[in-house]
Formats: sequence, structure tokens, C-alpha cells
Amino acid sequence: MMSRRARRFPARRVACAAIFVAIAVVILGLSAHLRWNTPLWSRDRLSMPAHDFRVVMGAGAEDGDSLRVGAIGNDGNGLQMHALDRLHADDWPILHYRFEGFPRTLELSLVFRRADTPQDVQAISVPWPGDGWHSVDLRGIPEWHGEIVEIGFAEFATGQLVPPSVGFRPFRFDSAELSALSWCGGLATLREAWFSYRPWAFMSISALVPDRGTSGTSSPLLALVAIIVFGVLAIALTMRWSRAHALGYVAVAGASLWLMLDMRWLGDLWARHGLTERVYAGRPWRERERLQPDENVAAAAEQVRNWLGSNAPASRVLIESDSDYVYLRLAYLLLPRNVGLLYHLGGSSPPEGGLVLLYDSTRWAYDAARGELSNGTNAYPVDPVFESADAHLYRVKGTR
Amino acid sequence: MNFSLMAAWILPLLTGTCVWLACNPSRAPGWRAAALGHGCVFGMLLAAAATALCARTETTHAWLRASPVLVALALVCGILAWRSLRAMPAPRADIPARANTWLNGLLALALISLLWRGGIALREILLRPTYPWDAWDAWAVKSKTWVLLGHYVPFVSMQEWLAHPAQELYTSLGWAYPSTLPWIQVWFASAAGGWIEPMVNLPWFALWLGLLAGHYGQWRALGLSRRQALVGVYALGSLPLITVHVALAGYADLWVATLFGFAVLAWLRWMQTRAKQHLLIAFVCALLLPLLKLEGAIWLLLLASVMVYGLLRRRWRRRAAWVLLGVFVIVMVFGRLKIPVPGLGWVELARNAIDIPGFGRLAISWHGIALSGILNSLFVQPNWHLLWWLAPLIVVWRWRTLFADQALRRVGAVLLAAFGALIFLFVFTDAASWAEHYTAVNRLLMHMVPALVTFLLLLLREVNWREVLRDTPARFAARSYPA
Repeated sequence: MMSRRARRFPARRVACAAIFVAIAVVILGLSAHLRWNTPLWSRDRLSMPAHDFRVVMGAGAEDGDSLRVGAIGNDGNGLQMHALDRLHADDWPILHYRFEGFPRTLELSLVFRRADTPQDVQAISVPWPGDGWHSVDLRGIPEWHGEIVEIGFAEFATGQLVPPSVGFRPFRFDSAELSALSWCGGLATLREAWFSYRPWAFMSISALVPDRGTSGTSSPLLALVAIIVFGVLAIALTMRWSRAHALGYVAVAGASLWLMLDMRWLGDLWARHGLTERVYAGRPWRERERLQPDENVAAAAEQVRNWLGSNAPASRVLIESDSDYVYLRLAYLLLPRNVGLLYHLGGSSPPEGGLVLLYDSTRWAYDAARGELSNGTNAYPVDPVFESADAHLYRVKGTR
Repeated sequence: MNFSLMAAWILPLLTGTCVWLACNPSRAPGWRAAALGHGCVFGMLLAAAATALCARTETTHAWLRASPVLVALALVCGILAWRSLRAMPAPRADIPARANTWLNGLLALALISLLWRGGIALREILLRPTYPWDAWDAWAVKSKTWVLLGHYVPFVSMQEWLAHPAQELYTSLGWAYPSTLPWIQVWFASAAGGWIEPMVNLPWFALWLGLLAGHYGQWRALGLSRRQALVGVYALGSLPLITVHVALAGYADLWVATLFGFAVLAWLRWMQTRAKQHLLIAFVCALLLPLLKLEGAIWLLLLASVMVYGLLRRRWRRRAAWVLLGVFVIVMVFGRLKIPVPGLGWVELARNAIDIPGFGRLAISWHGIALSGILNSLFVQPNWHLLWWLAPLIVVWRWRTLFADQALRRVGAVLLAAFGALIFLFVFTDAASWAEHYTAVNRLLMHMVPALVTFLLLLLREVNWREVLRDTPARFAARSYPA
């Protein structure tokens, strides 16, 4: 029950509102790793209009202060860089960037070079830039230290998700800005971390955060629960609520928070689905089936399948690649061929007359002089029978 | 959608519903939803069984070969159900609670949001090729092979595959996984006319509908008001990771979660009514768990243990406790013990390791790092909204109800044992990395989530919300509740 005194003195309610806001500000500040003496606004800002960036990969044209990016490079990447005068990374922990019409199918990376290792290019995936300004806190990125001599942005088809052939659409890069730490900047990065769009990833089926190596994404759950718990507790003490009364408020706060989190999740789900619509909607199944994120692997599998179909079939095909994903993917795409993984062969011999498919493999190599496929430990006599780009097919002759 | 695909959808739904109604002829509140929900899920499992039995030699037309079995089953069960239901009095018309526009409006909006996310998930399934890693790497390998080859071939371990090069044997990383889900996919692929991934993944959407409808119907039968049950449907349907498992279809975890939830619901119904059919359904659901996923064997063991324990007389319960203690002593003294676990085989327990067929050897040692993964999954990541925050709070708040209600105590014991088993797995075995890297912790927790929601809803069943919300801004929402 609300006490009579509390009812009589509305000042207590005002105090409650103030306490709640103070608790919220403190918890938000802690979540954004801000201190009480951090300035409210940033005094130091380094503005970098897009027309100051040079196009390193792909093609772009100046459009006023902006840069209109019309194409990506042959390797599927776009890259724009801007030279800096030995900037101290610690002084500039907040990055703001603004793009327009950035396609949902592309992923954005912050790229920079440090004075201590000018030959190394650091690339950090940052939240997808929808309309308006976006901010990311660079303090959590271990590579962001020392003196920065060059900064830029790279764009490429979203990893694990978008076939590179349909990933690119022209967009406009407006501006970027580095700023010193401030409450405004810190809270902007927190908003970005909590509410920015995150595409589907292989990890999504197991956990929604962390999705991938995107810097500056986190979950608001803990902070919001802390605000509610400490807020209700402080108000209950101030208003001298009974336990039953406080319970009612906890129930209302819990239900409201659930709805709030659910609205956020629905927005996220809708945005993720937007990418699926963009890539696959309006295409027949046969075309969608070919639109795999790993187009090269899918193409190689199709070529090998066609070769197997038009040549003497083998009872077994053993697959090998440096990447776990690639050899498992090839095994699935080659079905209903009778496939196994060379990796599991151990010291045993492959079946005579069977085939070995190497795709982008450095562990195994074909020695033409000896007519052998070898990994340094094991060697099998084989004949090369088919080759296409990264895919090499060999027929096993009979082990020695 | 062509005729064969439509028929391939209607037939399992019809058969499953008839089987449910024949086994459980009831006009309790929510019986229609319970019948459709359970019917949808059981129907797909029956289709898998019929396909596995009748279509091994010709998978291209699997659904045509297997459908006579389902048609016969539907006819027999339909007649039985009709006769039983006809003899039952019509249910009393529900007296709706006093209308509360605000609360009803809010609930309607919440349910509309469920429809919206269902629509997104459906569209996601219909548009994209199979996406999640294990869906194509493990679960769809057998079904795709059988459909494209046109007949069944056995999947064996790599060693056996290499040892018999002349035989038509196949291998894959998931060769030992149960074949129930692959057979469901064969049924729908054959009806679709080939390996069309959106069509073979569509059962996951039906599963979601079945999960929600089945739980709604059983919650109503367990005494929840329509509004309480709908709040439960929203709570369960809004959980992000459940939506993800529908939209990115292809994993077995949602199937296990659904059957685990159904087993608990039927068991609760049995404890409420003592009607044998509920106990039978509970055991069938529990027995199906290892046929869906190997981990299901652990849940079967836990569920069956607590269910059987509840059936024993007091004297036998004491003896069962002594047997358990004896097992523990044998393991500690002699170092090892082999016990048969349905669905897994002979599991070897030792002081320093557990050897589980299909999983391998898990060394026992302390892995504190896994705790941070578990806590992050439960209380920080946005996978479960507030579910794991609210669960302990509700248990503490409603502890009197929990201790007074034997049925709730038993369900609580199962959930606690399941949770304990997962904590043991992640913190005391090599499986710690599954929690540390979040690869399995949430998916295994998902198995118990529908049952947990049931448990929490039943704990809150008798709450006088009018009293609780009396002095809050939401008091308008409680006006329709009895004082």
C-alpha cells in the first residue's frame, strides 16, 4: 500500500522520478564505459568528408562532399582510404560514419593502418550503416592503438550469407568523423550496439549475440534489467511501499520490459528477413538453389558433378580442403555421390578406382613426377582426371 | 502448391489428429487446439514412420507408397474418436471473464505480433536454401541422398565405409544420428517432386504451430483461463531462439523441445485426472525423444525416472533411492559401470570419464570457464527475453504453491534434474567448450523451455492479479479478475 505520507507529498514522487532517471543514467553510463567526469559533448572532432577519400578498390566518383561508389573490385571488395597525420588512436575512440543507400547485402569494415606496422592493414567489421549517422566505440578493438596513418572503409558481400554475384548495388558515402570520448558519443555507440541491424550468421541458430566478429554489438538485456531492478528498489524504499505493492510494480515492469525486448527482436528479425527478400524474392527455386553464399564452392561442385555424370562413375569420392566448411559443403553439394572425407582416412588406403577431390588444399599436393598425392605422411598413387580453378580430381590407382 | 503436396500436408494432419482424439477422447477446455497441435506433430512423425517402413525401395514416390498406412490409421482412429466423442456431453459454454478492453487489446496486439513473426519465418523458409550448418552437414544428408538416389541406403561409420568398398554404404559426420527427421523430409520431398529445400524445411513451421496450439489446448485443460493460456502462447512463441529455429529450419532441437513439452503436459494431465491415456501419451512422447536426437535419450532417462518414481509405492521408492545410491557407490569404488540407455546404447560411467556411444568419451574435470558461457546465455544474451530472469523469481514468489502441489513438485524435479544434467555436462566435462563458445548451450536449454513455461504458468495459475496490481498504473488490466 502506498503510504499516506507519500500520497500527501507529491514531492516524493518527483524525487522518485529523479532517482529513477539518475539510476538509468548511471547504468547506461557504466554500460557505455563512461566516467562521471567525461565531457557531455566532444570538444575535439575530426571531420573527414567522403570526397577526401581515394578509391583503392572498385570505382567511385565525387558527388559534392560525398563519394558515389558505383562498382566494387574484381575480388568483390570496395575500398576507400584517407591518409591521416599520425593520429593518436587513444585520443579518438569514437567513430561516426554516414552512408546513403547502402545495400543490405553488403557488409562494412573499418580499415586502418598504424605507423608501427604500416605494411599491415587492420580490418574490423562495424555495424551496418543504414540511413543517418552511425557510431562505433573503438576502445574495445585491440588493434586500435598507437598512431594511425590511414583510415578507410571496405565493403563486401555479407559473409556466410550473400552470394557475391548479387551483393553489390551503388551507394553514396557521405562522411566520417572521429571524436574524443563524450557522454553523447558514448551513448550513441551504446544505442548502435544494442539496436543496430545484425544479419543472420551460422552462429544465429545457437546464440543471437555474439553473431560474428562485428565490433560494437551487444545485448541490452542486462542493463535494462539492472535499471528496472534498482529503479523499483529505490522507488520502493523512497515511497515506503509494502512488499505486496512493490510486487505489483515488479510485475508491471517485467511485463513491460518483455514487450520492449520483443519489439526490439521483431525489428531485428524484420531487418534480417529484409536481406533474404532482397537476395531471393522473385526468383524460381532452380535459380535460388544456385544463389549460395559460397558461389565458388557451389560452382566447383556442379562442375565435378557434371564430370562424374559424363565419365565412368566412381564408387567413392574422398574430399579434402583446408577449410572444414568447404569440404563439408562440397560433400553436401555432391550428393547423392558416395562421398567421404579424406581427413578421416587416417593411415588407411583409399579404395582403388575411387576418386580424391582436392579443393583449395595446401595439406595435400600432387607430385607429377611420382604420380602421387601426398601430405608428407601418406602418399597414394593417383592419376589426375579433372581440373577446374581450385578443384582437382584424381583417380586412385592402387596403393603401394 | 500442387495437389500431391497439399495431400501430403493434409494426410499427416488428419491422421495425427484422429490418432490423438482416439487415444484421448476429451471435450475438456481447449480440446480442439490440443488435438490440432498434437495431431500436427504426431502426424508428421507417423508420416516418417510410414515412409521408413513402406518406401525404402522407392523414395521418389515415398508419400504415395506410405499414404495407405496413414489413410487406414486415420479411418480407424477417426471412427473410434467419433464414437467416443459422440457419447460425451457437449462442453459447458465458457463464461467469458468481464471484458477489459485494454487488456484484450494488448493481448490481441501481442498475438498479432506472433502472426507477424510466423509470417516472417514462413517466408524465410520458403525463400532460402537450407542455411544452418548442421542442417545440411548432418540432418539433411541422409534424406537428400535417399531422395536423389531414389531408394534407401544405410549410413555407416567411416571405418565401416572404408572396410566395405564394394557395398552400397554411405557415410557422413552424422551417420549415427536418428533418421526420424530425414524420413519426414523424404515424405515432403517426394510430394514436392524432388529435393526442393524450402518444401523439405516447411515441417518446421508446422512444428511451431503444433507446439503453440498443443500447449494452448493442454494449458486450458489443466485449468488455465483462456486469457492466461493466450499469455502463455505469446510468451512461448515470442522467445527469439525458438523463432530462429523455425526461420532457419533444419535442426532437431525444436522437435525435442516440443516432444519434451508434450510429454510433461500429458504427464500433468495424468496427475490431474489419473486417466491412463495421458500416462500413455506421456511415455510415448518421452520414448520418441531419442528417436529425434541422441540427447533425447538423456531426457527420456530423466523423465521416465521421475514418472516411474511417481508411480511407485512408498516402500519401492525407498528401494529405488537405495539402488541409485548403490550405482553411485559402485562407480566410486570400482571405477566404472555400464548402464543401458535407450537410444544411446551402453553408457559407461567412470570416476574420471563418461563414455557415450555416438558422442564419444567425455573426461570429467572442472571447467569453470563454462559458467560464464551459461550465465551469459541465460541472463545477458537476447535469446530468451526475460525467461531465465523470471523463472527463479516466480519459483521464490510462489514457493508455497509449489510445495503444496505434488504435480508441480514432480515437474519441478524433472526440470531441476535436466538443468543439473546440463550444468554437469558443461562445467564438469570436455563439453565445456560448447558453453564457452555458445555452440550448444542455448540449443540444449531450449529442450526444456516449453516445459519450463508450462511450469511457470501453472505456478501463476491461482495468482489474484487484481490484488497484485491494485496500486499500480496497470490496475485497469486486472479489473476483470475476480477479487
